[in-house]
Amino acid sequence: MGQYPNYRPYYIPQISGWGPSVAPLPPPPPPLQPAPYVDHQSAKKIKNDVNVHKDTIRLQVDEQSPDCHLVSFTFDALVDGSITIFYFAKEGDNCRFTPVYPEIVPVKVPFQKGLGQKFCQPSGTGVDLGFFDTDDLSKPVEDIYPLVISAESHGPSMSMASSEELENMSPHAQISQAVLQKKDGGIFQVKVIKQILWIDNARYELREIFGISNSDEAAINDMESGKECIICMTEVKNTAVLPCRHMCMCGDCAKELRIQSNKCPVCRQPIEELLEIKVDEEAEDSPTAST
Amino acid sequence: MANSNLPRRIIKETQRLLSEPAPGISASPSEDNMRYFNVMILGPTQSPYEGGVFKLELFLPEEYPMAAPKVRFLTKIYHPNIDKLGRICLDILKDKWSPALQIRTVLLSIQALLSAPNPDDPLSENIAKHWKTNEVEAVETAKEWTRLYASGA
Repeated sequence: MGQYPNYRPYYIPQISGWGPSVAPLPPPPPPLQPAPYVDHQSAKKIKNDVNVHKDTIRLQVDEQSPDCHLVSFTFDALVDGSITIFYFAKEGDNCRFTPVYPEIVPVKVPFQKGLGQKFCQPSGTGVDLGFFDTDDLSKPVEDIYPLVISAESHGPSMSMASSEELENMSPHAQISQAVLQKKDGGIFQVKVIKQILWIDNARYELREIFGISNSDEAAINDMESGKECIICMTEVKNTAVLPCRHMCMCGDCAKELRIQSNKCPVCRQPIEELLEIKVDEEAEDSPTAST
Repeated sequence: MANSNLPRRIIKETQRLLSEPAPGISASPSEDNMRYFNVMILGPTQSPYEGGVFKLELFLPEEYPMAAPKVRFLTKIYHPNIDKLGRICLDILKDKWSPALQIRTVLLSIQALLSAPNPDDPLSENIAKHWKTNEVEAVETAKEWTRLYASGA
């Protein structure tokens, strides 16, 4: 997960030697120590209060009004909050979304905290997608997405705040931007293109990291998709390669690999950045931030 | 013995090779050098090498797994991508090596190369030419060589 304002440029490590061999006399050679790997970053931990399971998002026909479609999905919420559904919405400043067609009013539905909840858009609030061209629904145009689901959490501190304070406070939100693809039989398939987190006035884009398997999978197949570094097969893997997002190495092997090669061991794409993700269970509330 | 500081990865790979060998492949480390493996690959069925037992040597250089293992056929073989010294033309042993590959995956790739000779990327020009001009005859020669040199006797 990269925090965009903090994105750093990539510096090619100097592995070709310690400067020209026919250097003019002084200055004396630098002390022999490895060049710092500026592109080796540690992950910062942020907490996401609401998570919409992006693979569960469906569009179903409203039985009460068969021309209209309703959104449903499964989500987890650690606090109370609300879901807002936009059609053809554009992202503005501070991660606020506005519909480009003012006549399609966003639908806001409050929820209470709970894990594995099912969200169903109330009947009668759906949109008749027949007005739109299937082409327009199936892809984003610039940053306008046909379907945007914003899951906002109202943190515990917010219930104590006065309404005026609440107005100025930026809620935490997870936003899913999706396209709608028409399948055989007129069914729309929802495909999430991007997920954004808005937390404490910072915008994060959610990306999956390949190779962080859940413990059940790892137990079944501990040697191939397990937790150990694929290079030393000894240490726990904690370093992901960017931009391909293959989490496959321990920190030491990642450093070693960078001296030897600039390709991801899994897919051979060039490595632009290494991201160390500390997964230490006991120090849950001491974030290891260094970005 | 130079085996005292053998990396854990090599020990683990060796244990897995011995406890769960891949079908048609055996690899066991030499007693005096744990980085040197004696390898046997059975000729794949429906290939000109069917019925043959091919001996190879595999050596893990100091840089392994950052560098590829060195592998060579010891048994004489008629194959467009293997030369008369037993050297193998296989991308993963050269520029396509990745430390995510292992001894097991390398040997499986060599076994697959026996099933699918690639005369367009030859190591033995003559054999490749033979393969491209008269494949039936080349396959016959490969079968003949398998009988002569790889009968496992």
